Amino acid sequence: MAGQEDPVQREIHQDWANQEYIEIITSSIKKIADFLNSFDMSCCSRLATLNEKLTALERRIEYIEARVTKGETLT
Amino acid sequence: MPLVKRNIDPRHLCHTALPRGIKNELECVTNISLANIIRQLSSLSKYAEDIFGELFNEAHSFSFRVNSLQERVDRLSVSVTQLDPKEEELSLQDITMRKAFRSSTIQDQQLFDRKSLPIPLQETYDVCEQPPPLNILTPYRDDGKEGLKFYTNPSYFFDLWKEKMLQDTEDKRKEKRKQKVLQEIQKIEQKNLDRPHEPEKVPRAPHDRRREWQKLAQGPELAEDDANLLHKHIEVANGPASHFETRPQTYVDHMDGSYSLSALPFSQMSELLTRAEERVLVRPHEPPPPPPMHGAGDAKPIPTCISSATGLIENRPQSPATGRTPVFVSPTPPPPPPPLPSALSTSSLRASMTSTPPPPVPPPPPPPATTLQAPAVPPPPAPLQIAPGVLHPAPPPIAPPLVQPSPPVARAAPVCETVPVHPLPQGEVQGLPPPPPPPPLPPPGIRPSSPVTVAALAHPPSGLHPTPSTAPGPHVPLMPPSPPSQVVPASEPKRHPSTLPVISDARSVLLEAIRKGIQLRKVEEQREQEAKHERIENDVATILSRRIAVEYSDSEDDSEFDEVDWLE
Repeated sequence: MAGQEDPVQREIHQDWANQEYIEIITSSIKKIADFLNSFDMSCCSRLATLNEKLTALERRIEYIEARVTKGETLT
Repeated sequence: MPLVKRNIDPRHLCHTALPRGIKNELECVTNISLANIIRQLSSLSKYAEDIFGELFNEAHSFSFRVNSLQERVDRLSVSVTQLDPKEEELSLQDITMRKAFRSSTIQDQQLFDRKSLPIPLQETYDVCEQPPPLNILTPYRDDGKEGLKFYTNPSYFFDLWKEKMLQDTEDKRKEKRKQKVLQEIQKIEQKNLDRPHEPEKVPRAPHDRRREWQKLAQGPELAEDDANLLHKHIEVANGPASHFETRPQTYVDHMDGSYSLSALPFSQMSELLTRAEERVLVRPHEPPPPPPMHGAGDAKPIPTCISSATGLIENRPQSPATGRTPVFVSPTPPPPPPPLPSALSTSSLRASMTSTPPPPVPPPPPPPATTLQAPAVPPPPAPLQIAPGVLHPAPPPIAPPLVQPSPPVARAAPVCETVPVHPLPQGEVQGLPPPPPPPPLPPPGIRPSSPVTVAALAHPPSGLHPTPSTAPGPHVPLMPPSPPSQVVPASEPKRHPSTLPVISDARSVLLEAIRKGIQLRKVEEQREQEAKHERIENDVATILSRRIAVEYSDSEDDSEFDEVDWLE
């Protein structure tokens, strides 16, 4: 009985250990994937705000340039 | 349902079939799971690389923009320090000549196009099955469309929307053009209505000022009533007196006006007339407009006919002639004289308004009358010479018959217009009121004996003959013959072309220019449309902007906008 149990037990224990190992790895993979997604989303939102600011600045600068520069006549 | 953008490839670690003949299955499963984990890690690394790549690209473009902005700010700061408020030019030319400020902002459009598909999604799409290769059949099609478009067309909705927008812009543009034309007609109408005052006001300037002061004294409320009364009094007072003075002038103009009327296509004319009619009927409270007599400078043929139409239509509110509208509205070019004069006759004519109907009615009567007079030039002088004494007493009694709403009077009036034209160049009987003599001629029952007299003075009466009237004929010596009357209407339409050279060249040239203008505009429109269709634009912004421009701006601005868009 003990002999039969040992190899099976050992296998099962081993299997459990392996599965736990695999589980750790997969959960860490999921964490990485989640981190990447959230990083991507936050970066996109920040870049979007940056984009807005940049476009606003560009428009203002265009306007100021038009006001300041002389000599841009049609003829 | 959210669309999965990136996927970690081996979704299930150990959902694979185990190979047979393995002793330690648990170990096998573990190993398989570990192998799948490694595959998952590789897809995860690809996933991360993709994410960071997109972020990096965006940030990179931002860095470029920021650098350029930095440079511009530096330049601006330098130029601002160099600015000198005293040097500012304040010339008006600069203000108008300077290029208008146009911001070069780019609007986001075509966001969900096949080209803007992210790479991971494109890869997912590529994994899918391809549609059947129906494009092989494209060369065998008759209409030239792609075979695959009938199975699946990703740009179907966009094409639909684009066509709808373009169609809407075209429709709006046409509407605007029509409105523009209507507005122009209205303006010209108003101008024509206003102009008749000019010849009248010259001798009455001092009197008007007194009246105006009186009006002001009485107050704004009463001033309006006074204005109406003043107009009416002027009309009544000037009617019979100015009738003869202005007629020689107006006849020439009206001949031209009549000319323009006959030259225009019938549909256009009827359309204009109906529109004028509607407008006139809408405002029934307007005081009877002063005789729409056109000044010598009136160069618009359309307005003359419109004003004539309005003058005639406005007669209706005065007279209970509701059923006459169809009669007037449907004048056909071939038989011009009969319908118009009949319409005129039906409407009640005031003493002041008598001068208006004859001038406005111009189209057919004057041309036919002028054509009639061409061959009758030699005879007219003779009969006029013969009966100078007879004609003189005519003027006074003419006024009453003119007032009467009789077809002969109406008929004679327009036709009489031509009579003065010929005597004028001949320098005979100019002082006589040409129109008056003809109207009294009509007495239907009287038959002249001499064909010569008939030719000269029978033009108007000849026209009247077909329409028997009960108008009294104070001028018995002038008798219209029945045969010439029958001949005249038949020859009237034929004489239309012959009178063309008679009319002043300026008018004909103007008419031709107007016609060419209309044709030119049509050609330009067609060319524009073709050009547009050739440039297959998928620019949502321009399409939308053009449509909005057409809707909310004037037609003039719209054309400018289009040119600017093409230039940009």
